[in-house]
Order: sequence, then C-alpha cells, then structure tokens
Amino acid sequence: MPEANVFEPKIVAFLCNWCSYAGADLAGISRMHYPPSIRVIRVPCSGRVDPFFILQALQQGADGVLISGCHPGDCHYLTGNFVARRRFAVLNDLLEFCGIEPGRVTFAWVSASEGERFARLVTEVTEKVKQLGPNRKLRKEQY
Amino acid sequence: MEKVELLRRRAKELLKNGEVVMVIGFGPGTRPDISQPLFATTPEQADQLTVDSTCSQNLATYLLKVKDRGRVAVVARGCESRSIVVLLQENQLQRPNLYILGVGCQGVIENGSKSVACTVCRYPNPVIGDEMVGEPVPVSEPDPAVTRADQEFDRLSPDERWQVLSEDITRCIRCYACRQVCPNCYCPVCFVDASMPQLLGKTPNLSDNMVFHLIRALHMAGRCVECGACQRACPMGIDLMRFNRRVAKTVRERFNAIAGTDLNHPPALTQFAPDDPQEFIR
Repeated sequence: MPEANVFEPKIVAFLCNWCSYAGADLAGISRMHYPPSIRVIRVPCSGRVDPFFILQALQQGADGVLISGCHPGDCHYLTGNFVARRRFAVLNDLLEFCGIEPGRVTFAWVSASEGERFARLVTEVTEKVKQLGPNRKLRKEQY
Repeated sequence: MEKVELLRRRAKELLKNGEVVMVIGFGPGTRPDISQPLFATTPEQADQLTVDSTCSQNLATYLLKVKDRGRVAVVARGCESRSIVVLLQENQLQRPNLYILGVGCQGVIENGSKSVACTVCRYPNPVIGDEMVGEPVPVSEPDPAVTRADQEFDRLSPDERWQVLSEDITRCIRCYACRQVCPNCYCPVCFVDASMPQLLGKTPNLSDNMVFHLIRALHMAGRCVECGACQRACPMGIDLMRFNRRVAKTVRERFNAIAGTDLNHPPALTQFAPDDPQEFIR
C-alpha cells in the first residue's frame, strides 16, 4: 500500500515514435522496472514537440516533463531532432531564466535499443522531481 | 533639422515621380512628445514627415499591411531595417516593392528618458537601404547598467527570479499591444487567439500571462531585433525586453547569430548545425 502523504509526481513524457517510444517498449517487454510516474504521449518526432506543449503540461498539472527523441543523426526524418535541439536550447535557457527549477523539464536522447537506459532515465527523473516537490509555479489554480 | 528637410525633399520627389505609391514615416502626433506613423500618398502629405526621438513605433509593422499596394517607401532606422531583413528572409515582403530611406537614429524617448532598448542599441544605422538620408550616427557603447542588472538578476535563486518576474507579469492585462506593434508578430491567427481548440486561457492570471510572455519570447528567438517597441507600447510598463534580451543572448552565444543583420543568414531557429552544443540534453 502506498503511503497517503508521499508525493508521487506526475510526469508527462513526450516520446518520439521511432526511437524513444520503441525504447520504452523495449524496457517493457524486457520486464524492467521503473516508477509508474510517467504519462507517455507518443509524437512522430522530437521536432513535433512545440515548446508550448511543455509549458501547457506544466500549466495543467504536470510536476515534470520529459522530452525524448532519437540521437542526433538517427532521426527518422533526418533532421527533425537537429531543429528541435535549437528550439529546446532556447526553451531550456528561458525556463532557467524565469525560475523554473532545473530538473523540472528534462531532455534526453534514447534510441530504440536503449530499454535499460530508458528505465534508468525515468527512475532518475522521477527521483529528481520528487526532490523538487510539486510544481507550483506554472500550474493553473484549477488543476 | 537638416535631416528632416532632406527626408521630406526625397519623399516628395519619390511620390511626385511615381516611383512609390506611399511613403511610410512619422508625422506629428496628438501630443508634442509623441509622433505617430504617417502614410503619405501625396507630396503635400510628405511635408509633414518628421524623424526624431519621439518616433516610438517600428514602422516595419505597417509594411505588412500595405504590401499589396505596390512599391512603398519606408523611413528606416536601424531597427526598422533589421525587421525588414527578417521579413524579407521569411518571404513576407518582396524587395522590389520596397524603397528604403535609411536614417541614423539617436534613440527613442520613453517616459522622459532614453528607452532601455536604445541604451544598449548597437545598430542605430540601417543595415540595408536604397539610400541614406543624412549622415550615419556613431555607434555608442551599450549602457553597462542594463547588462549589470541582467547579470544581477541571473545570480538570484530560481525562486527569487520567479518572484521578481511574477510581480511584473501578473500585472499584464493581456491587451496584446506588444504583439500588435511587433513587426515580426504577423501570424494570421495568433496562438492566444485560437479558440478551437483554445490553447491558452483568455483571462489575465499569472500562469497564462507567464506562458504568453514565454512563448512570445520563444517565437521571437533569433528574429527579435530588440527595437523595444513592445515595451514602449505596454500600458502596464512591464519590462518585456528582459525576456527578449535573454533570448537574443542565448541565440547569440549558442548559435552565433544576431537577428536581422545579414540577409544571407536566415533566422537562427530555422537552421541547425550538426555540432550545436547540447550539454543540457542527457
């Protein structure tokens, strides 16, 4: 039985269809254990992830956001993750600037064969967000 | 006032010779301390043209609204010329339809003192143009006070930074004046106006206000020319340029790009390099 007062973070994970989602799948079929804190949203490519999605997740009650795609050079669409990388760099700096705690939003490259890495990543991200506590800054009152 | 005389003369010539259908510049406003945009279609109207520190807006905004009228002349200071460069790169304007009358700029007055954006300006003179009216002005050193304030802000803890920005942003009344005056905000439907699906809450509250300003800064990344028109238009006096300066700094340091300074270098976020720094990605 989980204890009533322990903070269990909600983490929204944007996973690219071709690598990270398959990596998560591999972690699953390999029976690896990781915390049940993530809610996966499958996207065609990390380039599909608009920074707005990330902020919206935080607004609507996520305590953390994980964005993951193919390693640079492995993109199914050749350059999607390169373009995304520039966008995420600016977002990451802006989040730091406006005082969102480092670790609230995590970016990672996970390939389809890195099931173990994915399980470890989710464990670490969950630990980090637990440490940070609930997201209170960007959350809207009704969530 | 020699520069103004020269400007009026050239504008009148252009209109008289039929080289352009309109000259966009500044004319007298309803108050002596603020000029307003002037759209001169006859030589007589061009006699009202003025250019000084009371000219607050960025005239490139209006080019987008008259782009179907034919060839239009525009009075362009450094900021306007850089905005035009970005708009040309994004295929929003066609170069043959433009006649750029370049003028040097001494900075714009905001509430009685020099606008913050102008105190750190490094491009007072136009970067492109068909002709230069008057002499270029010397580039002055950026005011170290602004940089120092930014550095001090960066040294605060995340919670303190959030606190400082919240106090500012919570006052936003979501009038979108900042978006309206911006030459580079030209989406037919802005994400804040979308209602099906509704992307962002319409009423002022801290969360929605902050997301609006963050996303606006992100949309401006690599495109904002830091003219400061948004901040001067803000009825609540919110320090909007703080966001834009930060994003411009990121783009400058990470991608070695400055918006609107080179027609041959498209906006930084439409490009990539295989070896872009990625220390923040695990």
